[in-house]
Amino acid sequence: MTALSSLQLDALRELANIGSGTAGTALSQLLGRSVDISVPNAVVLPLAEAVEAVGPAEQEVTGVAIPLAGDMDAVVLLVFPVDDGGTLCAMLGVEAGTADAISALGEIGNILAASYIGSLGAMTGLDLDLTPPQTVTDMLAAIVASVLATRAAGTDTALILDSELRVEGEECSLSFLLLPEPGGVREILARMGVEA
Amino acid sequence: MTPVDEIAVRMGEIAVSSAPGEVLLSIGLGSCIGLALVDQRRGIAGLAHVMLPEAVAEGGPAGKFADRAVPELVARMAALGTSRTALRAVIVGGAQMFTLGGGAGSALDIGVRNESAVRAALATERIPVVASATGGARGRTIRVFPGGAVLSKEAGGAEIELMPGVRA
Repeated sequence: MTALSSLQLDALRELANIGSGTAGTALSQLLGRSVDISVPNAVVLPLAEAVEAVGPAEQEVTGVAIPLAGDMDAVVLLVFPVDDGGTLCAMLGVEAGTADAISALGEIGNILAASYIGSLGAMTGLDLDLTPPQTVTDMLAAIVASVLATRAAGTDTALILDSELRVEGEECSLSFLLLPEPGGVREILARMGVEA
Repeated sequence: MTPVDEIAVRMGEIAVSSAPGEVLLSIGLGSCIGLALVDQRRGIAGLAHVMLPEAVAEGGPAGKFADRAVPELVARMAALGTSRTALRAVIVGGAQMFTLGGGAGSALDIGVRNESAVRAALATERIPVVASATGGARGRTIRVFPGGAVLSKEAGGAEIELMPGVRA
């Protein structure tokens, strides 16, 4: 991927903004609680710097990875600090650390990704589908790097669209990442009329 | 314990050291491989953080692809004064965290392919692999001391000494 212009990054940030707004609304409805949504980051980084842009490499997190199918090759990755994932499960009446909790976090990931990707598809006209979520608890660096590696053969940079959702009144936040393959980024930008 | 300077070797990077008090470190290897080369007699060590098996294009970070990372790491070790016959390799990582190959017919396990590509490149260079902690589904962290010790730690596990040596 070559460098993106600030206009292109603004366009991607706006997409992420609308996508995470929709995802935040879905989370809020699911929990019956208010959810704050951060202003998203849209950054293009050398691969070596991509992990630290997401969080501390060694932090134990639960990652829900959802590869997309259809008109764009990308992976949606939700990252919860382990305790926050537990808090989220407790709000849904599921005991943290159990098999049910893992499947609940996967399902939350699915619902949020479907909202985010739905609004992205509506704005760009891209036909996008979700594939089943995979949930793993491990070091943040291992999760992020393993996802990036699947799309990194032809590129030395990563585009990261990162939004943070925070449940009001709880120590509970999650990062919502969209990690598109370079061809996917070009496709989005073309649809939005901000090609290089 | 003497304080150590940690040198982070991130995705696609290579670092070498002959300075006592330094440690080369890759945190959170998932499908990536941390390849350590050590010359214990001279107190020289190197670490490559390999992401993928084979280069598909020119350029890019030296450590990204196994087929380029191994000769590059050997060359940087040689520049610090090692002889090739003194080099021993330790391999850490290559787990399968997710199955995200994507695309038709490519349900690929990058971790396994990374490990075999690294082993093949080491065989070409005639460097023996003396220890490894690879495969499985957990992330790992590798620490490599110029004095020769190589340590590995799995997520949620204890640190193990893969190669005994001086931790300095």
